[in-house]
Amino acid sequence: MDNIPVRQHRTLTINILRHNPADGDSQPRLQAFEVDETDAMTLFIALNVIREEQDPTLTFDFVCRAGICGSCGMIINGRPGLACRTLTRDLPDEFTLLPLPGFELIADLSVNTGKWMRGMAERLETWVHASDLAGVDLDQMEQPMDPHLAEQIYELERCIECGCCIAACGTAQMRDDFVGAVGLNQVTRFRLDPRDQRDDSDFYQLVGDDSGVFGCMTLLGCEDMCPKDLPLATQIAFLRRRMVAV
Amino acid sequence: MSPIVTDVLVIGGGLAGQRAAIGARRRGLDVTVLSLVPAKRSHSAAAQGGMQASLGNCLGGAGDNEDLHFADTVRGSDWGADQDVVRMFAHMAPKAIRELAAWGVPWSRVQKGEHQITEDGQKKTIREADAAHGLITSRNFGGTAKWRACYVSDGTGHAMLYTMSNQAIAAGIPVHERMEAIALIHDGERCCGAVARNLMTGELQTYLARATCVASGGFGRIYRVSTNAVINEGLGAALALETGLARLGNMEAVQFHPTGIFPSGILVTEGCRGDGGLLLDGSGHRFMPDYEPEKRELASRDVVSRRMEEHIAAGHGASSRFGEHLWLDIRLLGRDHINSKLREVSEICHYFLGIDPAEELIPVRPAQHYSMGGIRTDRTGQCPSLSGLFAVGEAACWDMHGFNRLGGNSVAETVVAGMIVGETIADYCESDQGELTLSTALAADFQAREAARLRSIATNPGAEKAVELTRQMQQIMTDKVGIFRSAERLEEAVAGLLALQSRASRIGLSSARKGPNPELVAAYRLPRMLKLALCVACGALQRTESRGAHYRADYPQRNDQQWLQRTLTSWPEQDQEQPTIDYEPLDIMSMELPPGWRGYGARDFIAHPDSEARQAQIDALLAQAGPLDARQRQALLMPFEHFLPGIYRGRNQRLGDTDG
Amino acid sequence: MGAAALEPKPMRQKINRWPARLDVAQSLSGLLLVLFIWGHMFFESSILLGKDAMLWVTRMFEGAHLLGRPYPVLVSVAAALVLALVALHALLALRKFPANYRQYHRLNRHVSAMRHLDTTAWYIQVITGFALFFLASAHLLVVLLQPENIGPYASSDRVWSGRFWLLYGPLLLIVHLHAGIGIYRLCLKWGPFPAQRLGLWRGRIKLAAYCIVAFYLCLGTASLVTYMRIGAQHAPYAGERYAPEAVE
Ligand SMILES: Cc1cc2nc3c(=O)[nH]c(=O)nc-3n(C[C@H](O)[C@H](O)[C@H](O)COP(=O)(O)OP(=O)(O)OC[C@H]3O[C@@H](n4cnc5c(N)ncnc54)[C@H](O)[C@@H]3O)c2cc1C
Ligand code: HEM
Ligand code: SF4
Ligand code: SF4
Ligand code: FES
Repeated sequence: MDNIPVRQHRTLTINILRHNPADGDSQPRLQAFEVDETDAMTLFIALNVIREEQDPTLTFDFVCRAGICGSCGMIINGRPGLACRTLTRDLPDEFTLLPLPGFELIADLSVNTGKWMRGMAERLETWVHASDLAGVDLDQMEQPMDPHLAEQIYELERCIECGCCIAACGTAQMRDDFVGAVGLNQVTRFRLDPRDQRDDSDFYQLVGDDSGVFGCMTLLGCEDMCPKDLPLATQIAFLRRRMVAV
Repeated sequence: MSPIVTDVLVIGGGLAGQRAAIGARRRGLDVTVLSLVPAKRSHSAAAQGGMQASLGNCLGGAGDNEDLHFADTVRGSDWGADQDVVRMFAHMAPKAIRELAAWGVPWSRVQKGEHQITEDGQKKTIREADAAHGLITSRNFGGTAKWRACYVSDGTGHAMLYTMSNQAIAAGIPVHERMEAIALIHDGERCCGAVARNLMTGELQTYLARATCVASGGFGRIYRVSTNAVINEGLGAALALETGLARLGNMEAVQFHPTGIFPSGILVTEGCRGDGGLLLDGSGHRFMPDYEPEKRELASRDVVSRRMEEHIAAGHGASSRFGEHLWLDIRLLGRDHINSKLREVSEICHYFLGIDPAEELIPVRPAQHYSMGGIRTDRTGQCPSLSGLFAVGEAACWDMHGFNRLGGNSVAETVVAGMIVGETIADYCESDQGELTLSTALAADFQAREAARLRSIATNPGAEKAVELTRQMQQIMTDKVGIFRSAERLEEAVAGLLALQSRASRIGLSSARKGPNPELVAAYRLPRMLKLALCVACGALQRTESRGAHYRADYPQRNDQQWLQRTLTSWPEQDQEQPTIDYEPLDIMSMELPPGWRGYGARDFIAHPDSEARQAQIDALLAQAGPLDARQRQALLMPFEHFLPGIYRGRNQRLGDTDG
Repeated sequence: MGAAALEPKPMRQKINRWPARLDVAQSLSGLLLVLFIWGHMFFESSILLGKDAMLWVTRMFEGAHLLGRPYPVLVSVAAALVLALVALHALLALRKFPANYRQYHRLNRHVSAMRHLDTTAWYIQVITGFALFFLASAHLLVVLLQPENIGPYASSDRVWSGRFWLLYGPLLLIVHLHAGIGIYRLCLKWGPFPAQRLGLWRGRIKLAAYCIVAFYLCLGTASLVTYMRIGAQHAPYAGERYAPEAVE
């Protein structure tokens, strides 16, 4: 089989941030682990090998291990990314893993992105607002939608709430209340959706200040680090123009 | 910590759990959802390909209806399914999809005019009608008569789960994330909540509820090679099993998906083949038509997976340093199609294999994919042997999948069953039975018992390592309880699992640290997973026939005469080593579609005499009744609508319906 | 709550438009300043075409060509306007500065860990902005207070004998870095680029910004060197005004 390139096997040195806030004595520190690289090794595999063979307390989050669920965001050699789909062959012999900054640390590489995202969803009301949702007549044909529009909505819906854009955003790192590219993108998603009956002044209430779209300083870390390649810069610029026009 | 009291406790924040939660919430109940992970990260998000519902909007789906969906599902199940439930399901699926459409799922839509498609390796041009423009479209999936799998590009589950979760947030339903239910609280008759462990702090928390609903997904992770998420460990089903009261249905029915990426097992969707992709062997030959001239690559999953393994065993695999595999070829679909309709697939190939599927072949081999088995419930989703306990989704054996689930029927089931079970739960809570009768003392007992158990695990001086034993269990399951089963291998499996079970009592931990402790988690989950593994292996060993996904090389025929039965597995005594297995017969005489040939796969099976009798009875009934429309005909043979909640009985409108 | 929560809650409170206005004002003031500085560079570098050319430009700003004789106060007024604009812009931008040590620390860590060009560029903008607050103000104040002291010799004397090259050298570099990055970010902040094209446009704009900055740095350096050379030659006579060679 020639499509997984063979490579000299290396011994990787992985420096991992260790810290358990539940333990009062624990101080954040980097711990180095050595792992023998195997073919097509991902960080998912490497971290599990470490946990199975060297330190069973090492804490990290994986769910789908296929780049779909957004659980495994971490700082990989300085930059946020999904660990499960990062191949070690793309990394140097020695590299560092840190938890995503900007989120509550659970332990080691595990952070509470879920809580943050739920807070964001509640604050930005990221759901279709329509007056008769509970009373939809399910026997009737569905409302038609332009196929192209449906695709566009899906493009924006592909966000997996991994938090990489928050970790990649200087603004979000400075301001805890900034909704980040993930939030702004979701607002544009619902704004685009004809089923959502909110108008721009409603959206302005949600993002029309410095914790929202006007807080974004166009650093484009989000655009460059989003593992799903969402069109974040385009969407934020678009939202900014619309919000200014309200 | 003092107990949290809620009307409804839902264990699981996937599609099924959240839909049930929303249903109960709408009826004015207080609902709390527990989840191992943030709800949107549940494994439902991984469903790529589609959701089956007989809308019949696009050309390939034209003429589709509940009857065809029903028949495909029953055939797919190899007649193991409960036909009433399949009817309820087929009737509800269009409603479920329309509800989701109103709630915000951006379903892919029909584009009027001409399109190029790829079918059976050939390019074809089709023309979509103007009237269908903008309605929900669908794609072809295995084992179906029509193009019935509605989809959102190839992020169907993701889009559905996000919409569902957002609606749950809108409804103000709290989701207690990283809270693992570790025991169901009951007094021998009535279930009234659960003890949960906070995975972040390690603290225990008791929940008291009038109704408890398990929606914890499948148990794929008892296998080594699986498409499932790492959290799919069947914990909810194991908790139900441990009550000694609830029973698990058809645990040996485990589905293997034909196209797991080799060797990691990450799934590439059935949509690849549905959209025209082909399976090739080591020498580049398209082999499926040799085995399955009718449905080729699109026979049901059990059949395709088996044929693939057969072909590899016959020496036609491609070899790599990880072992043998076959190829999936989607190059012929073209880059545009791949980058729009199969985008996740293209990402997965890019990131995990480093290949471009528009140019290169994808290495695939069947991998464990779905658990047809689960907590046995009645048609309304209630556990018949433990009042107050409900189950829904992959964790349940509502039994619409029998021995093989059709692609796209699972996410459809989660939502449909969620809609129904939400109502059932609300009805239950409103009834006298639904009063919360439990003493808090019992809850305290359960919590104390669990705390003691965890303490004893944490302080066990044993030398065994949980991860090592887990790996061995997974290896046994993949090697010996896989696609091809035999008495010999299954006996070895059972013996191996029993040995692991006794070793599991000697697991020691390296640290008893506060806060998150993955080592402890692995240690207390393993015995539960072993129980499930034993249910699967013992069930498979006893079932001396081949049905759906359960294939016995030593009993290759389906045997309706002896085995038209649902397996019911229980664990009545704590100290029992192996599960107790009972069977529940399926009554052919009340079936709408009596057993026969599926239309693909093996043609010879041992028929039950009732099959013929029932067919004769049906023919007579129809002859007697004179001309009937489809609905009347159906009602005559097997009335089911009265099983549905009143609000869901309406007739589904379709494009081109004559009587509006 | 239940069913009610599934329905949208009425959201017709009064909208506070100030954040939007301030954001626009920040960008607009930045844009005007960039346009100003770019124009300014051409006028300033008229010295490269000779002393007469520069004098002509100076006189133009003093209104001599329109009003018949030079009114240096006009330059003061222009400088005051620009200074006001700078002050406005600085004030608005100040909102984006790290507000306390914790923020500063996080930002620092973030910038150095990410090694991300646009983020680093922003950091440079914050730093250069901070420096500009002093350097640009100093320069503008001089112009404001001594509008008559502009001219081929007067300016050169200030640069050389008055040691102002120590101010202008850094100012040149800093202002163009700031302006170049600023204009790039302005484009991406507001520009309606379709998603598929964003990468392409971003690359183009970045390239354009590089070129423009490089161009102005060359131009500015050449002018500055010229002023310094003239200033050095003229040093013994520092203070004398330039008289055009070709008498009308
Ligand atoms: C890769 C892949 C692709 C698939 N594609 C398709 C497809 O295209 N079409 C289709 O129809 N089906 C598909 N399926 C199947 C389908 O996705 C699943 O069967 C379905 O989503 C299961 O949904 P669920 O709600 O029952 O469970 P899940 O979505 O798995 O959710 C389980 C929930 O239970 C929680 N939980 C588990 N245990 C506990 C506990 N002890 N305490 C608290 N919470 C707990 C988890 O945190 C999670 O929230 C696919 C499956 C896989 C693996
Ligand atoms: C007193 C001096 C100045 C200070 C303190 C200052 C500060 C800043 C800061 C901190 C920013 C970033 C703001 C943000 O990211 O939102 C910025 C942006 C900008 N500055 Fe300045 N600046 C000064 C002078 C100038 C000058 C003289 C120019 C023109 C050459 C200029 C042009 C710009 C532009 C175009 C932007 C981008 C505007 C935007 O992002 O909306 N600035 N400035
Ligand atoms: S926008 Fe991108 S980076 Fe941000 S959360 Fe979503 S997927 Fe992750
Ligand atoms: S553009 Fe920059 S400031 Fe704005 S959200 Fe993205 S990373 Fe943050
Ligand atoms: S584990 Fe799901 S994205 Fe990495």
